[in-house]
Amino acid sequence: MGLLQELIFGLVTGSYIAIAAIGFTLIYGIVNMINFAYGEYLTLGAFIGFLAANALPGPLPVAVVAAMIGGGIVSIVLARGFFTPINNTGPVPMLLTSIGLGIALRNAIRLVGGRSARYFETETSTFRFDAIPDLAVGPVDLLGGVFVTSEHLIVIGSAVAVFVAIHALLTRTDVGIAMRAMGDDESLARVRGIDTQLIRDSVWVLAGVLAGLAGVLMAVQTNVSADTGFSHILQILSAAILGGAGSPYGAILGAYVIGIVLAVSTAFLPSSMTGLSSAAAFVILIAVLLVKPSGIAGTEVREA
Amino acid sequence: MSSDITGRVNRRTLLTVVGGSGIAGLSGCVGFGGDGEGGDGGDGSGSDDGDGSGSDDGNGGSDDGGPDTIVFGQPGAQTGSFDFLQPGVSQAADAAVRHINEAGGPLGAELELVRRDTAVDPQEARTVTTQLVENDDAAAIVGLFSSEINPLWDFLQDLQTPVVTPWPGSTFLDTRGGDKGTPDDVSDDEWVWRTVVGDTVHTGGSAVYALEEGFETLGIINGNTEGERSYVDGFLSVYEENGGTVAERVEVELGSSSYQSALSRLFDAEFDAFLVSMPQESAITALSDWSDGGYGRQPILSDTLAQQAVIDQVGSDLHGAWAASPGRSGPSYDTFESIYLEEGDAEINGWTPPSWDAVQVTALAIERAGEATPEAIQRNLGPVSRGEGTTVSTFAEGKEALANGEEITYEGAATPVDFTEHGNVFGSVTISTAEEGGFVETTEVPAEDVREYVAEGEY
Repeated sequence: MGLLQELIFGLVTGSYIAIAAIGFTLIYGIVNMINFAYGEYLTLGAFIGFLAANALPGPLPVAVVAAMIGGGIVSIVLARGFFTPINNTGPVPMLLTSIGLGIALRNAIRLVGGRSARYFETETSTFRFDAIPDLAVGPVDLLGGVFVTSEHLIVIGSAVAVFVAIHALLTRTDVGIAMRAMGDDESLARVRGIDTQLIRDSVWVLAGVLAGLAGVLMAVQTNVSADTGFSHILQILSAAILGGAGSPYGAILGAYVIGIVLAVSTAFLPSSMTGLSSAAAFVILIAVLLVKPSGIAGTEVREA
Repeated sequence: MSSDITGRVNRRTLLTVVGGSGIAGLSGCVGFGGDGEGGDGGDGSGSDDGDGSGSDDGNGGSDDGGPDTIVFGQPGAQTGSFDFLQPGVSQAADAAVRHINEAGGPLGAELELVRRDTAVDPQEARTVTTQLVENDDAAAIVGLFSSEINPLWDFLQDLQTPVVTPWPGSTFLDTRGGDKGTPDDVSDDEWVWRTVVGDTVHTGGSAVYALEEGFETLGIINGNTEGERSYVDGFLSVYEENGGTVAERVEVELGSSSYQSALSRLFDAEFDAFLVSMPQESAITALSDWSDGGYGRQPILSDTLAQQAVIDQVGSDLHGAWAASPGRSGPSYDTFESIYLEEGDAEINGWTPPSWDAVQVTALAIERAGEATPEAIQRNLGPVSRGEGTTVSTFAEGKEALANGEEITYEGAATPVDFTEHGNVFGSVTISTAEEGGFVETTEVPAEDVREYVAEGEY
């Protein structure tokens, strides 16, 4: 298959990562902490979605909405319980707390949810576009026939919807503008009368909603298990840092760079190295940070 | 204006909450032994308590001077990628323990099984094995996977406790383990024995069957862990030696959300069939991607994938796919099955009868040795499994024969359990084909046929 098909696969993978990475990077930019427990937020979202799909009547989108609402509630409850009380201790204690919380949540999910993977019951349709002509450049075919599945379209469509909604939120609403203000300078935002705790809470809810959505989308493609989110946290973290930590637009860009590098490296690395596609993504991350330490989007990298 | 301090919380209260949460979380990591992961149908007479309490009286004395209790340790996959296989393995071990105790126990002692979860993680396996030997006083270990044994090889040799395991298929063990044909001399011994046929044997059977079916060119997609690589290497050693060729091999990371790129690369090559060697969850993702992409061609699955869940999730495109698994029909399979079914309702898989065999043959080694020390067990595993003695199919028969002064040879449920000098066993290979209702056993490749492809002394 050609490069075009690999790009489609990369876009799908990047979309999963991007939705989650936006939530992750908003927490970083506004709450000023790296939340290593964020993978477990995805897992909880996947479990809530799975339970909703089996308990509630209606199609899968009902379960998705339930997962998003549940994710938001879980996120604010966890934040109020574990992070808000130590808001002023600095990023390192919050980072360590998030690592501990992540371990605790993962094992709690494993104990309560059991060891077996669970699967969403979905039907997938495949759409083929075989009429696209080949365009060979050396050994690489740039075009060629491609296919997309209904799952691919849903994932990419969900990501686009999230991007539009986040852009509208950040540029058209008071809460979003306050979030950006806090991301730039929290003290100044407070001087201007912004209720910073309310904004923090809003960010936690928003990050939880996005985690719920990303968790269900990942679980539909793979399965629902205690490791559903944890297995992707490094990619999410990398996307956020690659794009410029704290910047939602940068996280989107970083996620697609990582998704496309994962796809293309699997396709074009030598046979003996195809298992190292993640390593290729991280090599790109290191290379970008060496050249531009603030990440692609150029947002200031905060101390952590 | 909002305050800088968003909520005052007493420092001591915060530390209490965080510390308490940390302990609660870590307790999940550390586990509470078998009980914590219970519900697998395997907590019968094998005393799945995993709390170490069973060993307290292990050095006590019975009326005839022997121990009151003998402990076997079972590292298990109660969580992790292979947890779906553990219920059958646990139930078989528990059934064996119950049967042995009903027959009077080894040396008249109560046999106790302590099971602890490793999640098939080598570091956790090292900790668990140490706990079983040091804290629980296990005289033998009746578990451990390839992925655990291979990186822990030197550690297990230093431990000098026999590991008689139903799990590992790794080719790494083909020439490692066993008593080297000199049971009385432990100086050249390696302390690992396996009661399941190695990958070399059943992948050899799979390769032979593939060639017989006319699949002369192959594509391969496998995970990047030791177990998956070993499976493929074992397959290829027979496949290529007998004229088969590999058109493309793609190695993938496990746990990915999509394998479409790997599949598109693989299916760019021309081949008759493709071999999939991945753990179940990743394989379901990959095979679902394969089905969605409409790639077609004949799938050949690794042994762990012959599960109903794989067909359920991938769908009808998988019908016709086949997998070669270690045969389940050793000489005493029927005896095993009747006792096993009384123990619970866990599904029998390819590692279930070997689990029964591991406990049986180890208990017989103790009975023959007259003592329950690790070295005595190591010295006697060979003599009770091979040779010309009275054939026995259970511990009860073996105990009686040994009491009559006879030598014995144990005939197992999965295989005849004739340990080779490297502690391996030969057995038949079962070919199971995916159909509407599940995997159906369609062909059996006899052990003798497979043995032709394995060089003498190389297994």
